[in-house]
Amino acid sequence: MGSLLRELTGEYEAYLRDESHTVGRADWIAFPRTEEEVARVLREAWERDIPVTLQGGRTGISAGCVPHGGVVVSLSRMTRAEGCRALDDGRFSFLLQPGVVLSELGKWVESKRFDTRGWDGESLAAYGGFCRAGEFFFSPDPTERSACIGGMAACNASGARSYCYGPVRDHILSLRAVLMDGRTVALRRGERFARGLDFELPCEDGSVLRGRLPGYAMPATKNTSGYYCAPDMDLMDLFIGSDGTLAALTQVEAALLPLPAFQWCVNAYFMEEGQAIAFVKAVRDSVPKAAAIEYFDGDALNILRRQRAENPAFAALPPVPDGAAAAVCVELHDDDRASIQERLFRLGEQLTAAGGREENTQVARTAADVAALKFFRHAVPESVNMLIAQRKKLDPVITKLGTDMAVPDDRLEEVVALYRRGLAETGLQSAVWGHAGNNHLHVNILPRNGDDYRRGKALYADWARAVTGMGGAVSSEHAVGKAKADFLEIMYGPEHIAGMRALKRVFDPKGLLGQDNLFTKEGN
Amino acid sequence: MRIVVCIKQVPSTNEVRLDPETHTILRDGRQSVVNPFDAHAIEEAVRWKEARGGSVLAVSMGIPAVEELLRDALARGADEAVLLTDRAFAGADTLATSRTLAAGIRRAGPFDLILCGKMAVDGDTAQIGPELAEQLGIPHLTDVDAILSVEEGRVTVSRRGENGPETAQAALPALLTLTREINVPRMPDLTGVRRSLTAPFVRWGADDLDVDPARCGLKGSPTQVVRTFVPRRERETVFLEGAPAQQAAQMLEIVREVLS
Repeated sequence: MGSLLRELTGEYEAYLRDESHTVGRADWIAFPRTEEEVARVLREAWERDIPVTLQGGRTGISAGCVPHGGVVVSLSRMTRAEGCRALDDGRFSFLLQPGVVLSELGKWVESKRFDTRGWDGESLAAYGGFCRAGEFFFSPDPTERSACIGGMAACNASGARSYCYGPVRDHILSLRAVLMDGRTVALRRGERFARGLDFELPCEDGSVLRGRLPGYAMPATKNTSGYYCAPDMDLMDLFIGSDGTLAALTQVEAALLPLPAFQWCVNAYFMEEGQAIAFVKAVRDSVPKAAAIEYFDGDALNILRRQRAENPAFAALPPVPDGAAAAVCVELHDDDRASIQERLFRLGEQLTAAGGREENTQVARTAADVAALKFFRHAVPESVNMLIAQRKKLDPVITKLGTDMAVPDDRLEEVVALYRRGLAETGLQSAVWGHAGNNHLHVNILPRNGDDYRRGKALYADWARAVTGMGGAVSSEHAVGKAKADFLEIMYGPEHIAGMRALKRVFDPKGLLGQDNLFTKEGN
Repeated sequence: MRIVVCIKQVPSTNEVRLDPETHTILRDGRQSVVNPFDAHAIEEAVRWKEARGGSVLAVSMGIPAVEELLRDALARGADEAVLLTDRAFAGADTLATSRTLAAGIRRAGPFDLILCGKMAVDGDTAQIGPELAEQLGIPHLTDVDAILSVEEGRVTVSRRGENGPETAQAALPALLTLTREINVPRMPDLTGVRRSLTAPFVRWGADDLDVDPARCGLKGSPTQVVRTFVPRRERETVFLEGAPAQQAAQMLEIVREVLS
């Protein structure tokens, strides 16, 4: 059998970078199509001591899949659904290869059209049930719909609706993975647990991995900073959010949820940031089961005003009322019309109490309106990326500096004050938006020149320290990758980073997989 | 100025799914929506009302559940709504529908303008607007992408003619059918949603209107549907691998197979 490694020539240049816009280097690239081929590629690299960087959709913004030498293993051609299972509670799950793209999965689920070629009888029977049953959806919704399921699992992606439904971790029922030396592991949720911090994990060839988990306490926030570790944990959780450093995921079983009959969305505009934050807290306390609570500051709204006026591609954006200095977007899901209407009106009361006006709202109750508000939400990061791309032409050192930190519920006002103080003191340009319900705001520093960029980075590191002090997470949904390794050390300290290194050695003794993700390779 | 807007309920998707085992059509239970072209008609009516004063009446013929769509129009700024609903109206083609709509609009009182979407996305006929104008004996202009003025008893519009854009005029009262380019529909605000629950709303059946039941619904429809079916379409993507010569040979094989 020949090698599946191809020389990484110019035509594969795109595989040296991701959405972090950092560019790596690699000598080879491989595009396995099956788990067996993944095992062959990894075993060959292991035997030849070649570092391996795993890739999916290359949509990450933490440089987790940007190679630092060796071979790029792109799982982007493993795009099949391999089976379906009917769950005891009337839901369904699908066994997905890691390269299945989120937007494709969405289409398959919505239209109930999967390519079932090669499925066994049990899967086909379950699939028949799925087609006859009601409607379902896959709840994790990172803004980037071209992300793929393997990458989403590797960084424990979430998105706006994880406020209600949790991150991708909560929706994975089983995994298959290939270790660096080619051994395979199969894990199903609820079947294999650590004993305290010690664990034993059998591989499919009968060998057993034994190790000890680092003893850090994870923050009680949305979190994807380093390995998921807790006493007596389900060992499947080790692989989710492991940033491509422990094993290559070759199959992810994704569970669907019943689609709520009503999905409404309200944009509420405020004249002051403090009013918007007060509204967020009121919604959290008194409007049960909001699916998402998203925030946009005045700078983000100004970017949208400009885009709507100047760029024909954004002309259909809902208009931002004059004077609005902040907006909160609340998504409501419900199966009962009277109930969702009652919750909608309660939102109205809360926003009035917070200092807003019911006239300054946009209520989306139809698919077209919901799509318009989704466009609004997505247009913010998209516009900022366009702005940064323009500035990068003037100074190539410039990239977007976007924070991804979350704090506990009682620290929301404190963290907003921290950001405002830092931005005012440095005079840096910014736009702030994100998942306010989870106290998880993306502060995007928009450097105008190289100096801004350096000062922004320093500010970002200061915030990482302060957020750690509040019991928060330095990375909450984008994962650590290579871009945020320094912050991980700030958050957990050198001792626990050593514990993570030791954990990684159990799975990858040569330290070849996902080099420089989470922490730099020892000795570097 | 009193403006009447006609709206139609259409399925939210035109995708048809089949049960893989029984090969019967799967009803997805997804909500019906207002015909997208009609959403622009509502917006245009509300804009003219806001600019010139007056009121907007939303009218639809359909099943009782269409109330929800009419209430949505009220939330977006319409002032009153009429739902024409009766078993006698069921199964209507465009001719019977336009007769019923005309009767409903006559009963609703005098008006200056009727705005319709240029067509419905389910039937694609674009017939209701012109037929309704003929039933009411008023002029109509189709495919309007801007209303330029409404003054001195005349409406002036720009429309997409067969030879490109043209300016046209009609005496009021008149009926216009609108394209999607005419505006970007707004979203309701919370006060609108609250108002929509209490705004004037009436339901009229065949007995409430001056219509001949034999000229409504299926009975009054000259159009006969003989059969409906989903066209069969099969597509498959095959990636050919190997050296160019091998790929060419595989391609030849596939072409032969298709032609045989």
